[in-house]
Order: sequence, then C-alpha cells, then structure tokens
Amino acid sequence: MAARGSGRRGAGSGGARGPDPQEEPPPPLQAVLGADSFNRRFFPISKDRPRVLLPLANVAMIDYTLEFLTATGVEETFVFCCWKSVEIKEHLLKSKWCRRTSPNKVRIMTSDLYRSLGDVLRDVDAKSLVRSDFLLVSGDVVSNINVSAALEEHRKRRKLEKNVSVMTMIFKASSPGHHARCQEDDIILAMDSTTNRVLHYQRTQGLKRFRFPMSLFQSNIETVEVRHDLLDCHISICAPQVLGNQIHMHVTTEEYGARVSNLLMYEAVCSDIIRRWVYPLTPEMNFTDDATQSYTHSKHNIYRGAEVSLGQGSVLDENVLIGQGTVIGSNCSITNSVIGQNCKIGDDVILDGAFLWNGVHVADRVKIQQSIVCDEAEVKEGAILNPHCVLTSQVVVGPDIVLLEGTVISLHSPDEEEEDDDEFSDDSGVNKEESKVKLKGYNKAEVGSEGRGYLWKAADGSEADEEEQRQSLWGPTLNPEQESESESDLSQDSEQPDSRAASPQLDDVKVFQNEVLGTLQRGEEENISCDNLVLEINSLKYAYNIGLKEVMQVLSKVVLEFPLQQLDKGLDSQHYCVMLIPLLKNWSPVFKNYIKRASDHLDALSAIEEFFLEHDGLRTSIAKVLMTFYQLEILAEEMILCWFSQRDTSEKGRQLRKNQQLQKFIQWLEEAEEESSEGDQD
Amino acid sequence: MEPLSTVSQTDVLVLSCDLITDVALHEVVDLFRAHDATVSMLMKKAHEPTEMIPGQKGKKKPVEQRDFIGVDDTGKRLLFMANEADLDEELVIKRSLLQKHPRVHLRTGLVDAHLYCLKKYVVDFLAENRSLTSLRSELIPYLVRKQFSSAACVRQGRDSKEQDQKKDEKSLDIYSFVKGDSLLELAPDKSCWNNLRGDMSEAFHGGRVRCYVHIMTEGLCYRVNTLGLYIEANRQVPKLLPALLCPEEPLVHASAQVADRTLVGSDSIIGPSTQVGEKTSIKHSVIGTTCTIKDRVKITNCIIMNSVTIEDGCSLQNCLICHNAVIEKGADLRDCLIGSGQRLEPKAKHLNEVIVGSEQLMEI
Repeated sequence: MAARGSGRRGAGSGGARGPDPQEEPPPPLQAVLGADSFNRRFFPISKDRPRVLLPLANVAMIDYTLEFLTATGVEETFVFCCWKSVEIKEHLLKSKWCRRTSPNKVRIMTSDLYRSLGDVLRDVDAKSLVRSDFLLVSGDVVSNINVSAALEEHRKRRKLEKNVSVMTMIFKASSPGHHARCQEDDIILAMDSTTNRVLHYQRTQGLKRFRFPMSLFQSNIETVEVRHDLLDCHISICAPQVLGNQIHMHVTTEEYGARVSNLLMYEAVCSDIIRRWVYPLTPEMNFTDDATQSYTHSKHNIYRGAEVSLGQGSVLDENVLIGQGTVIGSNCSITNSVIGQNCKIGDDVILDGAFLWNGVHVADRVKIQQSIVCDEAEVKEGAILNPHCVLTSQVVVGPDIVLLEGTVISLHSPDEEEEDDDEFSDDSGVNKEESKVKLKGYNKAEVGSEGRGYLWKAADGSEADEEEQRQSLWGPTLNPEQESESESDLSQDSEQPDSRAASPQLDDVKVFQNEVLGTLQRGEEENISCDNLVLEINSLKYAYNIGLKEVMQVLSKVVLEFPLQQLDKGLDSQHYCVMLIPLLKNWSPVFKNYIKRASDHLDALSAIEEFFLEHDGLRTSIAKVLMTFYQLEILAEEMILCWFSQRDTSEKGRQLRKNQQLQKFIQWLEEAEEESSEGDQD
Repeated sequence: MEPLSTVSQTDVLVLSCDLITDVALHEVVDLFRAHDATVSMLMKKAHEPTEMIPGQKGKKKPVEQRDFIGVDDTGKRLLFMANEADLDEELVIKRSLLQKHPRVHLRTGLVDAHLYCLKKYVVDFLAENRSLTSLRSELIPYLVRKQFSSAACVRQGRDSKEQDQKKDEKSLDIYSFVKGDSLLELAPDKSCWNNLRGDMSEAFHGGRVRCYVHIMTEGLCYRVNTLGLYIEANRQVPKLLPALLCPEEPLVHASAQVADRTLVGSDSIIGPSTQVGEKTSIKHSVIGTTCTIKDRVKITNCIIMNSVTIEDGCSLQNCLICHNAVIEKGADLRDCLIGSGQRLEPKAKHLNEVIVGSEQLMEI
C-alpha cells in the first residue's frame, strides 16, 4: 500500500477509496539514512572515498539505498553524513535524487559530531524531523524489498497496542552458510511465532553453542521459534517516539536485502547484482539515470557499457560488467569481474573475481584474483594479485611482483593513520600526507621497482597482525560448515560422559560428604559456631536426601580424615592424635546433636572402626580416639562396650579389637562401669 | 528394561500403564516406519484443568517442570529436549543443530505421553549401558542429543580417550549399536537422483540417529500420574466412552437400581449393583459398584468409588470419595477428598478439605 503511495499521490488524492473510507491515508513515508558506517572497516579504502560512495557494480552504494527507499514508497529521506560529508553532498546534488522531479525528497544533514547511529537518531528527535513511522537504513544497504507489507503490520501493531512496539526489523530468509550472510553479522533469533515478536537477538560469531535466557520462556508464549536462517537486512521501521520495549520482525523470502559491511560482503553483493538477484536494480536498468551508466545486457550476464573495445581473442566468460570507455587488449580472459569506466587493460590478462574501479590501468600478463583495485591504480606488467588483495586509489604495483594473499597497499602510510585518530572529522590529513610520501619513499620489495604505495599493516608488521588486518578488512571467510560442526561435537562428546559419570544415587552420598567436609573446613577456618554447622549440615542433608544413618557415618569419617588432609599422608599415630583431639573437642556439640539414640552410637562406632580399618598405620590411636569420644561424652561407655563385644564382625575387625591399647581401654571402661554400678548399689 | 533385550527380537513399543488415550496408534508407528526412525514418541498439549482439584488450594500449573521440546518446521522431527530442572539460567543450543535445522520451534506446553517406539538396537544399547537408568529422563534426551554428532567424530573422540587409558563403559555410544541398513547405504551410490526429498531424506542426508515425535492436536490423551489428572481423566472419559470404546454398553449398568424420579446426566456412569434413591440428581459423575445412594442427594462433578454409602439429603460437588466411605445424612461437601473407609458426621459441612485417616496419607 505504501509502496504505491507515491504513485497514488501523483494520480491525485484518490486514495480515499480504501477498504475503510473513515481511515486517514497514512502520512508520507519518511526515511533516515545514515551515510556513515561509524567504523573503520573499509580502511584504507574509505580514506579516499566515504564508504557509501564506493562503487558497487560501478554505481555508488548510496544510490542503491536511495533507489530502494524510493521504490518502496519513501517520499522524504534524511541523509546524515559525517565523514567526507562534502563529497557525499556533492554526489547527491549531482544525482537524480535532487532533481525537481524526484518522488523522494532528499535532505542532507551534515555534522562532524555524529559518532554513532544513536547520535543521528538523537538529532532526528531533537529537530523533530519525522512525523510518523519511518524507515531506518544505513547507506550501504542493497535491497529490493518492498516494505509495504512490513509497514502495514507495523502500523497495525501500533494501532492495536499503543506504545508497545517500537520497531520492526526486516529479515531475509536464507539458509546458514549462504554467501550473502556475513559471518560477522550472522545472527540467531528467538521469536514468538504467533506475534512475530523478537525475543532474543544474538550474534553468532565464534560461538559453538547458543544460550537463551530462561526468562524468554517464562511468559505465556506457546512456541518460541529459534531461527538461524535469517539475514539481518539492516532495514527497520521505527516508531517516531520510543515509548515501548518490544521489537517485532518481518521475514521476506523472495526479495533481496544485504548490507555491505566488509569486503567479503562487497564481493558477495556485487556478484549478486550482476547475477540479477537484486532485480530490478540491475546494471542495464541504469536507475541512476546517468548517461555514462548505460549498459547492454547479453547472455551469461555480460554487461557492456558504451565504447568498450575488446581485443582479439579476449573472452568474457560470464558475469562480467565493463564500464564505458574501457579498452581491453587481446587474449584476455575475464570472468566474474566488474571493470569500471575508462580502464585500460593490456594483453594476456587474466581477471577472475576482480573488481576494478574507474580509470584503472592493468598492463600485460597481469593476473588478478578476487581482489579490489581502486580508482586510477596501476598494475604493471606481469604482476600477480592473489585473492583478497586491495590496492587503494592511485597505487602502482609491479612490474613482475607477486602480492601475497590478503595484501593491502595504500598511498597513505599506515603510521599516519595512528596520528589521524579523529578519522571522522579530519579531512586535512590528505594534504599533509602528500609531503610525507616524499619524505619516506616506498619500499621496492613491497610494491615492485616502479611501485608507489605502502604496504598497509600494523606498526610491528608481524605476520599475525597481517592476518588480523586481512581479517578486519575482508571479514572472516566462510568456513566449511562441517569443520565447525565436528569441533563442537568433539567438545560435546568429551563433556558428556563426565556430566553423568555414575548413577545419581551413588553420587549423592559422595557429594554430601564433600559438602560436609567443605562446611567443616570453613567452620575451622572462620570459627563458625557449632550450631551453625549443625544447621548447614542439616540443610545439606535435606538437599541431598540423606538419611540420618549416612549423616552419622559421613560425619565421623570426615572428621577422622580431617587431619589427614591437612598434613601429608605419612602421618604417625602420635601426630594424628595430637591434631584430631582438639578438633573433636571443638566439634563435640555437632556430634552430640546427631548421636542420640543407641543406634546412632553404634553407627558412629562402626564408622570409626571402618576408618581405622582403612588406615592401618593409625590403628594404634583408636583407643585414644575412643577415649576422647568417651571423655567428651559423645559416646556412652555401654555403647562402646556393646560395640566391642559385637559378634558379627569381620576378620579384620577382630584383629582391630586385639589391639593392646584398645583392650586396655576397654578393660578400663569395664572397671569404671563396675565401679559406678557398685557405687549405685551403695 | 534389561530383560526386554532378551525377549524382544524386533523393534518395540513401550508405553506406560497410566496412559489413557484415543490416539490412533498408527500415527506414531507410521512416523517410526516412514522415517526409519530410531525412536518416535507421542506428545500432547498440556491440559488446563477445567475444575478445581478437590482438597487443593488454588489452581496448579498444568506442568510443574516444563519440558522444552524443539521440533522442526514439519513439527515431526524432534530436535531438542530439555527439562526445566536440568537447566540453570539459560537454554543452550548447539550450532551444529541449527546448521542443519535453522528453524527450531521450541514448545513448552507439551506433555510426554510416555509412549515410545524404539528400534531394536536402542534396546540392545540400553541393556549394555547400565548408567542409563531412566527411559524418559536419560535415554530419550541422550538420543535426541546424539542426532547431531556424527559417527566419525565420535569414533575420533573415543580414540583419543583410549590414548588416555580412559576407555570405560560410559563411553559406550549409541552409534556403535546403530545397524546400518545395507540397502540404505547402497542407495546414495546407486540411485541417480540422490538428493532425495521425502520421508527418507534425513536418512540419506547423514543423520543416523533420528528422533520423531507425534504431537496430538486434538483427542484425548492423559497420563494419569497425579490426582488432578486422575480426576480430569475421569471427567473426560465418560463423554467419549459411548462413541469410542464400547458403544453397546450403557453408561448406567443394567444391574444398577435407579429410582424412577432420579435424574442421571447423560455423561455419568453408574456401576453394577449400585442403588440410587428417589429425587436424586447425578450429573457429570462417575459412581462405582455396589454403592448406596439414598434419596434427595445431589451429586455433581464427583468421582465415587466402590461401596460408598451416601445418606439422604447430601449434596456433593466436585468431590472424590474413596472406597467404603460413608457420608451421613445432610452432609454438604464441596471440593473435598474423602479417604477410603471414612465416615462423615451427619450435616457435616466441608469446603476444600482432605479428609483421610491419619495412617493413610494420600499424596496430592
């Protein structure tokens, strides 16, 4: 509906014949276009030319964006410029957008103070430029999406519930690994499938597994859809005032939309344009209405401008665009390439995936693969450019030089870049730089004997940095998907067996034991009172669902083992007793809390017995330990005697009972009891 | 599960004894056969309780610990499964899953009907792998997870483990049990159009473990594992009974003696040898065998088990009365749960109470 808005207006205000005559016609659609990327991803190319003016199939990027906006029914566009705003302004003033007949009024706003898209939007708000819902795009979006459906949805949503939805983002469905899906911007979304509300938005780069907060699922949303098949077109419909907090989405399947966010995307989008995915924005349509941009389209997607001359024996294989006035020598082979206007290409040149801008000179026997050569650069005889090379404007390389993969050469010295920190506002750097060139001279090894330009790399120039540089300019390459998958599987696999090591029932007692140990350690270190220890142990008991009997056993075991942990294993019984007895004294309230019934006493005793059976070396100290327990009134004498005289013990247990000191202790106990009983009788 | 492996020679269907459903079983089995699945299962949207559960304060959530079920676009392939209890703050999904299935529909309001179709090799695997103790909470999630790790990687992973001298029983993997179908392995080589679409496409495209789920959209499916669901099932079943299960059997048993001036709702069941007195009305209720219901009793939305006596003039609404209970004259009960063998005083009034003997606590 909105797409036809401009047409309808032209035909007079006949729009009142809608389904609901009461309804006011929607206000003219406005758009905010950020003509600055607010990052330096295209450095050093964008040092000479702002990103939005970089030619994409010989047409500046911003023209695609403006054409998209116009086609979709936008009637007023605010272009916000910052870096190199003069050039952008000049370009726009010359273009068809600023003619009187243009259905889309372009208003240019410039300021050096914009630092982010947020600044731009704040300015939009401050000047109250927009009256209604508007489109927000950046100047490097190439798209043929008709946003009317999304706009309709957006308006309906806003009408239904005021001040809830603030934004509708537009996505394009494309399967994972699609070449137009920028790895950096690759996203994963969680959405409410009934309302199309975006619940979660996450970049996927470098992540093997994706985490979704549980809060997504708390509300009464029946189905949460997790989507990894979406490409963020960076086109959104925004409400004029931010009063809600919900973001919705619209998915298009048929149309094209992508943002040129790095050179890899530049390459991908460029080839998509030539392969006519962005129809009707194809080169031969000449939508910029520029006389120099007329092309003829022939089969295999070969586009030729006016006055192109092709030498004998030269072959244009497929997907080639050649600008006006370009001369190509003989016996060349050109595939999947874009060549600008007024280029000169010598004989026996092989271009595969090359993007040559205007006025490039390529001499004989040059081979260029998947590289970008900017305005008026020159490649001399016999030079070979491996994939992902970049020559910025006026650079000269060669002759007979091989540029390694990912080489970036610019006339601007990389050192200068550091001084030039304020890259958004400082235009004067260009002039300063001229004098510098003369000062420093070029490294012949890097650019060839007749070369001009600096190898662009970080100051120390180590290889790792070069890789990084390439990474940042070109963006991460598409990895073969299988690889990443297997990695994630491996890690998953190694984790899994551990996570469920033993059956859970066995685990609990062990975990409980560890927890009790930790509690006691803390108690020892921080001098926590016994009441609190009991409280903690009780809570652990419930947490792990442990019976009283086990608590008893674990507690005795942990306490008896306590000194062992503090010292080395080879501990003699003497030392052991010295260490243990104060501990027992400290913790006697804890024991008393748990040892109450007769069976508790026996459980504790059997745990003690078990411990001493396990630690042969300490066996002699059992008497002393029991003595301590007795003196602290933790264990009653009858119970100790009862335990001692237990019949159903193992062989080892009997041996333990033969221990001399233990026998003595028992004897002593028996005597004491007799005495006391005698005393009772008296 | 272990004895099963010795008994069963083929693929098995496992179901829980508390499942009440009118699902066409072939739906699940078809899914299993059509996709040559490792496992296929049945799920159903959770029910909202239509009435209060007797003796319980407030409405409970239909599912206490929600399961997160991830299915693909067709809603049949089971991609993800996790229980709320196992998750901390967030839900984690692997990249490899999303690479193969970029759209995952995560649903929370589903209940597992505990009906599974399992391949023979899964049973074998279960018999070998003793660390798996529960079908529902361990085996099925394990299989679902394993869908997206390829066999090659697993083998590689195990090799490295062998080097670490750590090859223990736990590293046993489902893949070592997957029996390749020789025909299936042959097919991609021999057929000229190998990018097959259709039911078996998954089998062609690598995934060797495949889990499917049939989600019922309508129909009856109850797992009677809580009191609330028991009552709910009791309410729903009488409505469907005549149509589906036993059309020739009347809801009011022939041997029941119902007085003439008594109102019995069309969706009520009265068991054999039960006596119902004059001027009594029975609506939406199930009454067991050999009960005695006297005159002027109002019974709405109740479940009355066997040999219950209800004296004159009682009014019962939304109650569950267990075996051998006696309700004396003029009692007025709403939303109550009466334990078996209880005897209520005449004119007793109870609202939303649980009345049971102290020795036999019922779990709610």
